[in-house]
Amino acid sequence: MVLFNSDSREIAVKVVYYGPALSGKTTNLQSLFQKIDPCVRGRLMTLDTKDDRTLFFDMMPVFFRTRSGVKVKLKLYTVPGQVMHESTRRIVLQGSDAVAFVADSRRSEAASTLAYWNDMLKNLEANGLDWRSLPIVVQMNKRDLPDARGDGELDDLRSVIQPPVLPAVAIRGEGVVETLYAVLQRCYRSLDRAFSLDERLQIPEREFLGQIFSHVDLRGTHLPAEGAAGR
Amino acid sequence: MSLPPSFLNQRLPLADLLDLRSFAEVCHSFSELYRVGLKVFDEEGNRLVDVKVGNADFCGYLWSKPAGRARCMETVGRVKSERLAEEARPVTFACFSGCRYVVQPILYEGDCLGRVVFGPFVPEEERELPEALLGHADLDPRRAASYQSKIRRVPMGTAGKILKHFMDLVDVLVFTGHKNLIAAKLHIEAVRESYRELSEKNQKLAESYSALKELDRLKSSFLATMSHELRTPLTSVIGYSEMMLEGLGGPLTAEQREYLGIIMEKGENLLQLITSILDISKIEAGRVRLVLSEVDVCQLMRDAVATLLPLARKRGLKVSCEPVQLPRIHADRDKLRQCLVNLCSNAVKFTPAGGSVVVRGEALGGERLAIHVTDSGIGISEEHLAKVFEVFFQVDGSTTREYGGAGLGLAIVKSYVEAHGGEVQVRSAPGAGSTFTVVLPIRSAAAGPLVTPVPSAAAAGGVR
Ligand SMILES: Nc1nc2c(ncn2[C@@H]2O[C@H](COP(=O)(O)OP(=O)(O)O)[C@@H](O)[C@H]2O)c(=O)[nH]1
Ligand SMILES: Nc1ncnc2c1ncn2[C@@H]1O[C@H](COP(=O)(O)OP(=O)(O)O)[C@@H](O)[C@H]1O
Ligand SMILES: [Mg+2]
Ligand SMILES: [Mg+2]
Repeated sequence: MVLFNSDSREIAVKVVYYGPALSGKTTNLQSLFQKIDPCVRGRLMTLDTKDDRTLFFDMMPVFFRTRSGVKVKLKLYTVPGQVMHESTRRIVLQGSDAVAFVADSRRSEAASTLAYWNDMLKNLEANGLDWRSLPIVVQMNKRDLPDARGDGELDDLRSVIQPPVLPAVAIRGEGVVETLYAVLQRCYRSLDRAFSLDERLQIPEREFLGQIFSHVDLRGTHLPAEGAAGR
Repeated sequence: MSLPPSFLNQRLPLADLLDLRSFAEVCHSFSELYRVGLKVFDEEGNRLVDVKVGNADFCGYLWSKPAGRARCMETVGRVKSERLAEEARPVTFACFSGCRYVVQPILYEGDCLGRVVFGPFVPEEERELPEALLGHADLDPRRAASYQSKIRRVPMGTAGKILKHFMDLVDVLVFTGHKNLIAAKLHIEAVRESYRELSEKNQKLAESYSALKELDRLKSSFLATMSHELRTPLTSVIGYSEMMLEGLGGPLTAEQREYLGIIMEKGENLLQLITSILDISKIEAGRVRLVLSEVDVCQLMRDAVATLLPLARKRGLKVSCEPVQLPRIHADRDKLRQCLVNLCSNAVKFTPAGGSVVVRGEALGGERLAIHVTDSGIGISEEHLAKVFEVFFQVDGSTTREYGGAGLGLAIVKSYVEAHGGEVQVRSAPGAGSTFTVVLPIRSAAAGPLVTPVPSAAAAGGVR
């Protein structure tokens, strides 16, 4: 998190969607773009130049002002998943406050998922970020496909890894809001520990999440109306 | 390892997000269309664009009066820097002259990047010059009115709509500008980052390479010291065995004789091995000097064959020497003898029973001569041919290998021959025997220190 000169009362928060190519990162942002009210978000910027650079990269800003008058600027990024963009992934990860790791849950993708998970840990470390303390959530996407892992296997995964695991069908918008909620909730808690958001800036968790999720289409999610409560 | 800060995490000023030149063009044509001036300021108050339309005479006239000038500056100051709420709607500023400005902040991604000032224009609803202005003593009302008429009249509602239209345009321009900037800068940062990573790896490689070189040096000096230390006691072992065999320690039984014979033979083998290790470490350390004298090559060939003859007989090999007529040469006798012995002993070692070894001399043109050592042995395959001259290389490198030796013989031959300004060649095929050829100049020029580097097998396979 970057705290702009404390009297201007402005904070910038960075959340990165990381994962192998074609796992559904862009689809996540596209779905969020549809579901979030334009009054708290900007345009979805998608770089998908098909020239020799073939750089795939997305960014969407979300912003609001808290009742205590602090401007919160949240940016959602995706990394280019192609193997050759290793160094770009490292650059995008720089200074991130939380990560949503988007995996293709088909069994056939297990090896590449693991490779990108390790690649992410390495790149976090290169940026001086500690993956043990950084808020990370794992989204198991494409659960609609025949070869996808079942609920039982997701439970198995939950028992071996520390981050929460969320199922999703991003292409139908399922699990996308839940993933954002989970990652932002953890993100808030970690920032609160580091910067005393509640005490120093008077931004309680309910308000932080409420300011965003009261402007999100929550239909079809199991999220509490808590979102709306913060309004 | 740490990355330099990325521009992605920095706040970008309006001027970086826009292509200022084409943006100015857009502003000009927009202003011309509506015949109203347009100014764009960034967050710091820097003026990025300024288009004046129609108001120059009127404002210039007011500006020429001290009182007018002061009030004009005050209006301009407010329009440019008065705090605006961060909301996407126009704010109207009235000038003392009756003109109006509509101003709107440029909001992007929740940030205020600057403002657009649309005006001055005369509101359609209030075309008359204000009373206060007309009452002013040194102002000619008719002149002022005629100047004012050159300024565009716009209904207030319309002004707001025009500005909104322009703001939409700015929003798209900023967005596409930002997108282009990211595409370009991210690419550059990525290239720079890959370069940084590569340099880091190179650095590590260079470090481990010099560590390897240092180890190699330590190995050579260790070998030199050790072989020297081993040789001294070994010579005593051999010497005393010899004395006992000669009966100096009293009479011996046949069995004792046989045992002593074995001790001596194995001792000699060991001594040879240690000597070659010592030689090679001297070569690697560049501490070998040639001692030149007139040498009879034919004699050397016969000597070498004679040395190997007992062993060859024991192994059931036919050995022949064809010295022909050769000129005497200027060379280091001991080192050349050792070369020939090494080649012959390989020939004997790698040739199965019933085979043959031939040592043949040949006078070449150009003041050179050749010595060929040919065997009918197991031969060497193509892939190994280039490596047999490397230190410690053996085709069969396993510890359970059939043939003894330390893999130093040919490396020594090569170094010594090259020190003479000559060269060693090999022709061989598996199962078809081998021919090693030493070509020497008749007058060896090099008498200096021997610095021919002998690559060790380990270093050759590693970083080079
Ligand atoms: N069947 C299925 N396809 C998906 C799902 N999510 C994304 N996709 C498809 O997977 C492909 C790659 O998605 P994209 O978001 O571009 O992947 P990215 O490379 O991670 O950004 C696209 O064709 C998407 O339509 C999903 O939940 N189910
Ligand atoms: N005449 C030969 N026939 C077949 N192989 C040979 C011959 N001379 C040398 N070589 C191969 O080259 C290797 C290196 O020879 P050398 O340097 O003399 O070491 P060493 O004799 O101690 O093994 C030998 O181990 C053997 O594999
Ligand atoms: Mg993508
Ligand atoms: Mg040998």
